[in-house]
Amino acid sequence: MSAAGTLVELQQRCQQAILDGNPLPGLFAAEGSGSSGGFGIYLQAYRARLTAALQDNYPVLLRAIGDDAFAALADAYIARRPSHFRSIRWVGDCLADFLACSPEHLAHPSLVDLARMDWATRAAFDAADAEALCVTDLATLRAEDWPQRRFGLLPSLQMLRLDWQVEPTWKSLDADPLASCDEPQFLPHVLLVWRPQLECRWRSAPALEASVLEALSTGASFAACCDLIADSGDAEPAATAAGFLQSWIADGLLARD
Amino acid sequence: MQEPVSGFGIGLRSEHYGDFIAAPQPVDWLEVISENYLVAGGKPLYHLDRIRRDYPMVMHGVSLSIGGSDPLDHAYLQQLRCLAERIQPAWVSDHLCWTGTSSLNLHDLLPLPYTEACLRHLVPRVQQVQEMLGRPLVLENVSSYVRYRADEMSEWEFIAELVRRSGCGLLLDVNNVYVSSVNHGFVAHAFIDAMPAAAVRQIHLAGHEDHGTYLIDTHDHPVCDAVWDLYAYTVNRLGPLPAMIERDDDIPPLELLLAELDTARSIARTAAGDARRAA
Repeated sequence: MSAAGTLVELQQRCQQAILDGNPLPGLFAAEGSGSSGGFGIYLQAYRARLTAALQDNYPVLLRAIGDDAFAALADAYIARRPSHFRSIRWVGDCLADFLACSPEHLAHPSLVDLARMDWATRAAFDAADAEALCVTDLATLRAEDWPQRRFGLLPSLQMLRLDWQVEPTWKSLDADPLASCDEPQFLPHVLLVWRPQLECRWRSAPALEASVLEALSTGASFAACCDLIADSGDAEPAATAAGFLQSWIADGLLARD
Repeated sequence: MQEPVSGFGIGLRSEHYGDFIAAPQPVDWLEVISENYLVAGGKPLYHLDRIRRDYPMVMHGVSLSIGGSDPLDHAYLQQLRCLAERIQPAWVSDHLCWTGTSSLNLHDLLPLPYTEACLRHLVPRVQQVQEMLGRPLVLENVSSYVRYRADEMSEWEFIAELVRRSGCGLLLDVNNVYVSSVNHGFVAHAFIDAMPAAAVRQIHLAGHEDHGTYLIDTHDHPVCDAVWDLYAYTVNRLGPLPAMIERDDDIPPLELLLAELDTARSIARTAAGDARRAA
């Protein structure tokens, strides 16, 4: 048998034992004696480490449901979704979807949106940097060039489609782990999460603004954005588009070319 | 620009970014966890770049899985290379271990079987990594809680042979030697004595948890007296190598780590003096 062939079998058996929580895979000297700490240390460390990573990535969800419920959720998620990532930073990428399909862990349906907001703020935290577009960058733009002008969005910008108005809960628990929160209201909307410089920001966006941002993200020109606004029944699409531009520049949502 | 590393350092942790930016600190160099900076942007890279201006650095990874049976992850190595080009570390290290197989990552530093077959698996992989990174690879001995039935040699014989065949450098974690020596009942000095001195680039010092009949390498306690003693023995045997305090949990204020670093300095001075007198 080749060197890799022998090793792969040993590692697959060892890994399967860790995933299964099997303390006696038949691979080790003095197995089960516990005299050197033993394989149980690896079994425990595996779950503890991944749970800690989930806690780091979902700090507000943790506060919302508490340690015990989070631990149960983490156990179920880790069993179902072992990590394929090189860096533990990305563990938990599917937790919100997993939660949505796990009624036994879902005390309230709004928790899925809370988890989405946690993940999005974490993603914005270390997303790619970009210089924000300033008003002065547009000062030299000739009138005839406006219709075809395209505007890039910050790489950190995410547009989340949420069903529940979880922002007040998220904000309260982010500031104070013991904050008491009202039950979120059912209110489908779009939440923008982005990072203009080093600090993350978020706010909700009305449906029209969100659809124009989505159009920009696919390369739509200013004229195409105006058409989109006009299609919504707006009588002054250019003025509305200009208003959007002003607020996006003020918010630092647009990237300099 | 790549700067040589000597003297005494610590592992850079986000809890201490402010201290390093606010004022010069009495450390000669810093070690950074590579994976913490394999991100696109934001605060991690901002602070890394800012602090790198003032301190030489080395990179220390946890995900290479040099002993894993999966093929080497070229995308990861490419990221590692980009980070190395960005901060120009004196060297890049990772652990002599495996972290997962069949495309999974267990995010742990699992021990390898100390066999001839495993050595034959490792040597070309070390060389591939060195080629892909464009710089020497330094590997650290891990602490362990099991020994494989398949083992054919001691850990120190395995490491010495790997160095001889592959030319890799060594990061000698003195705490890991101590933890494994207690867990497996070997003499820690024998491990140190077997290290090929010319290959050892760096020393790690750290704390562990004492569970009575065994120790767990937790990096959440100060360095204990037994590890300081083994460090003194190591300096006496191997000379004054770059050494650092590695703390990953229950991170204390920087002042406390700097006080531990002063202890390391003092022990190294005394041990080096003893070695000179003995010579």
